[in-house]
Amino acid sequence: MNKILKTLTILIISTFIGNYTLAQEVNIYTSRHYDSDDALYSEFTDSTGIKVNIISGSGNALLERLKAEGRDSPADIFFTVDAGNLWRIQKEGFFRSINSEEIKNIVPKNLRGPNDEWVAIAKRARVIYYNPEVISPERMEEVSYEDLSNPDWNGKIAIRSSSNMYNQSLVASLISNHGIDKTEEWAKGLVNNFSRKPQGNDRAQIMAVANGEATLGIANSYYIGIMLSGRSGEAQLAAAKKVKIHFPNQNDRGTHINISGAGILKSAPNHENAVKFLEFLLSERVQKHMVDLSYEYPVLNGIKPHPSIASFGEGFKEDRTSVADYGKYNTDAVMLMDRAGWQ
Amino acid sequence: MQKISVIKLWVAIPYIVLAVFVLPILIIISSIFGEWSENWSHLYDYVLFDYIYNSSVLVIGVLFVAFIVGTSSAWLVTNYRFPGKDFLEWALILPLAVPSYILAYTFTGLFDTFGTANIMLRELLNFEEQFSLFPNVRNLSGAIIVFSFTLYPYVYLVTRSAFLNQSQSMLEAGRLLGLNSFQVFYKLGIPIIRPALIGGLMLVAMETLSDFGAVEHFAIQTFTTGIFRTWYGMYDIQTAMQLASMLLIFIGLFVILEKYSREKARYTTKSSTFKPKKVNTLKGQSAFLAFAFCFIPVFIGFILPISELFIWMYSYNMDYFNEKFWETAANTIFLGIISALLCSFFALIINFLIRLDINNLSRVVSSFLSLGYGVPGLILAVGIVQLFVWLDRYFFTGSEIILTGSLIGLIFAYVIKSYALSNSTIESGYERISIVLDESARTLKTGNFRLLSKIHVPLLKTSLLTSTLIVISEVVKELPATLILRPFNFETLAVSTYIYAAEERMIQASAPAIAIVLVGLIPIIILTKMIRSSRIGRQY
Repeated sequence: MNKILKTLTILIISTFIGNYTLAQEVNIYTSRHYDSDDALYSEFTDSTGIKVNIISGSGNALLERLKAEGRDSPADIFFTVDAGNLWRIQKEGFFRSINSEEIKNIVPKNLRGPNDEWVAIAKRARVIYYNPEVISPERMEEVSYEDLSNPDWNGKIAIRSSSNMYNQSLVASLISNHGIDKTEEWAKGLVNNFSRKPQGNDRAQIMAVANGEATLGIANSYYIGIMLSGRSGEAQLAAAKKVKIHFPNQNDRGTHINISGAGILKSAPNHENAVKFLEFLLSERVQKHMVDLSYEYPVLNGIKPHPSIASFGEGFKEDRTSVADYGKYNTDAVMLMDRAGWQ
Repeated sequence: MQKISVIKLWVAIPYIVLAVFVLPILIIISSIFGEWSENWSHLYDYVLFDYIYNSSVLVIGVLFVAFIVGTSSAWLVTNYRFPGKDFLEWALILPLAVPSYILAYTFTGLFDTFGTANIMLRELLNFEEQFSLFPNVRNLSGAIIVFSFTLYPYVYLVTRSAFLNQSQSMLEAGRLLGLNSFQVFYKLGIPIIRPALIGGLMLVAMETLSDFGAVEHFAIQTFTTGIFRTWYGMYDIQTAMQLASMLLIFIGLFVILEKYSREKARYTTKSSTFKPKKVNTLKGQSAFLAFAFCFIPVFIGFILPISELFIWMYSYNMDYFNEKFWETAANTIFLGIISALLCSFFALIINFLIRLDINNLSRVVSSFLSLGYGVPGLILAVGIVQLFVWLDRYFFTGSEIILTGSLIGLIFAYVIKSYALSNSTIESGYERISIVLDESARTLKTGNFRLLSKIHVPLLKTSLLTSTLIVISEVVKELPATLILRPFNFETLAVSTYIYAAEERMIQASAPAIAIVLVGLIPIIILTKMIRSSRIGRQY
């Protein structure tokens, strides 16, 4: 009984002190957090003496919390997936420029905010999956994102709903390169080529290719790594073994890249600690841990992606379109997909 | 007249407290008076009608199935005896522990072309690899099944206790007039429990309309997915809040309609002619059919998802259950209990005030708070964050934010989100207390406080407990609001599920998902204990 009372008292007290902050810590709002990250963070605490405090949740909702809290926000770092999300926070004026030369040396210009408000921590490509027994790798060679609207592919393409942010970013990158009108025409052609009503997650598209429901499936690169790991079940493992990755647009601007990334907030109560934490995320050890866990591509040169993802091709040509444009054109992309009838 | 002034004293405090609780909902609705952006013409031209159409079909379908399943099974277990009945009578509420988004995830895990069910059948029957025996579930009919079989217990719970309270003499009269057993069910059984039934169906409708997880997983464009698409994709929270307000106004109309129908129909049969029900024993084929009819909902809504989750967890994620798990589970239960007690307390006071008919304010407050159940969790969270930051700025003028990001915010969200559950339970509990009792108490000069504490509370004991337990199981399942309102480093079970589910790692999410169901089962098992004893126990 005593113990219960004690716990209750502590809980009630902690209720009232809410965000009371101690001297050496760094506060992170993140939409990207795994259980195994905790071990890494305690390593950071051990070596620097800085305690890592986390709230993980939906990026969009955390942004609203941040907006409401304004200058009083306890957050130091905002860490999220998709460049569009980072761009929004930057546009609202919440990020401050990152000055650390160490960070800027690691992260190339096209993977940072316009004024270094945020930086990429890991990369992923949005690629085309195909079954080499159905369609030859030679035929695939020429396929670009633009070709997906070609009537040749009528009834053959699987892609998920347009509510998904990865599709929104892909379309935004096409708008950035071709303008709205051409992209809309493209989207209409693509919708005509759908093999089924958009459904399921990225992995469902890969499964559709493996079981013959579609010839081409569009999905992010790292999902094949998760499927091949066997941690998602025998069925996904078997399906993943049947498909190959095609990196589109190798002959022109390169394959569409998106990021997970982070920035430091203007209101950060622990600015220095935040810089240290970002440097930590970009350190060799953490980069290795992250890409091994998530099958993403590292941002730090010299780190190899996980072997199962590297086997599909390393050093492919990446699209240099600034990822910040994904945010800039995201609204246009969503409206365009609505007009094209992409559900 | 003296009576009223005494009441006012202790009535004022709950009103002030409740006013604060209604504020986040008002903040959301106030968006209607803000600017309407040009995005509206886009929505109107291309997607709005799809959203309305899909949401309408979904909610009508779910109401229909939940009505059929909930009332028929309640009727069978209260009026007949058949093999397995004792088990089914309480097992029928188990699906309440399974959140609809988890049922949706397991459904695709089972019935997709490469789902467990299809693979097993293919291996069993030696079919070729691409053959898919089960139809695609990622569509409106799939979603209707998912919501119906997780939500029908709300209908079952209320109708079951209402059927138990029906007098045998009425049913006998029906028999004498030449009705067969089915006619007795829908001509006498159903109409007389209408108020309770409508209350249960309201909850089902609100939960269906506010859900995001399941419809998003099935890629169905509903009003809620539209709200989030506008927010996340078009970066337009203002328009998203306006869409949410429209949804709320729509739900509000139903709340008013429900109140109206309750006013018109006050059935209190508890007179001296009340005769407890006689239970008929079913044999042979009809016994089997009754069993099958009641077993199927338990199977679809509970056994199936739980088995799939266990298969996933056992193969891939057993190490989730470490020390941290216990802490997380304790957090979850702690929040559940506090919120549930608050909800039940508020619902009791408000319904007591409504019964005294002091003024209409309590009705308005109650209706507004009930709306909270229909607000998508994240939108509600945004309303709460805005309110708290405002309160922090005006009342706690230090530089630190005190309320925002504290547990108070979470409890606040849970109370708003779950009040409707408490309210509907206690409201129907009150309907069963004859007004004659209050009048006799008055004649004996019993004060209001004594009337509430000495007469109503003991009579409402079952309703209060039910309300508390249902809210706990709801809080355990609550996901989106928790994610952004919690303090640093504070986790609940739903949070761990979300982190994996959002990254499409459902198999890794299976362990925390099971934990949600298991913890959610605790209140439900207590509830089932009550259900078992309620037949023998006193009935009012």
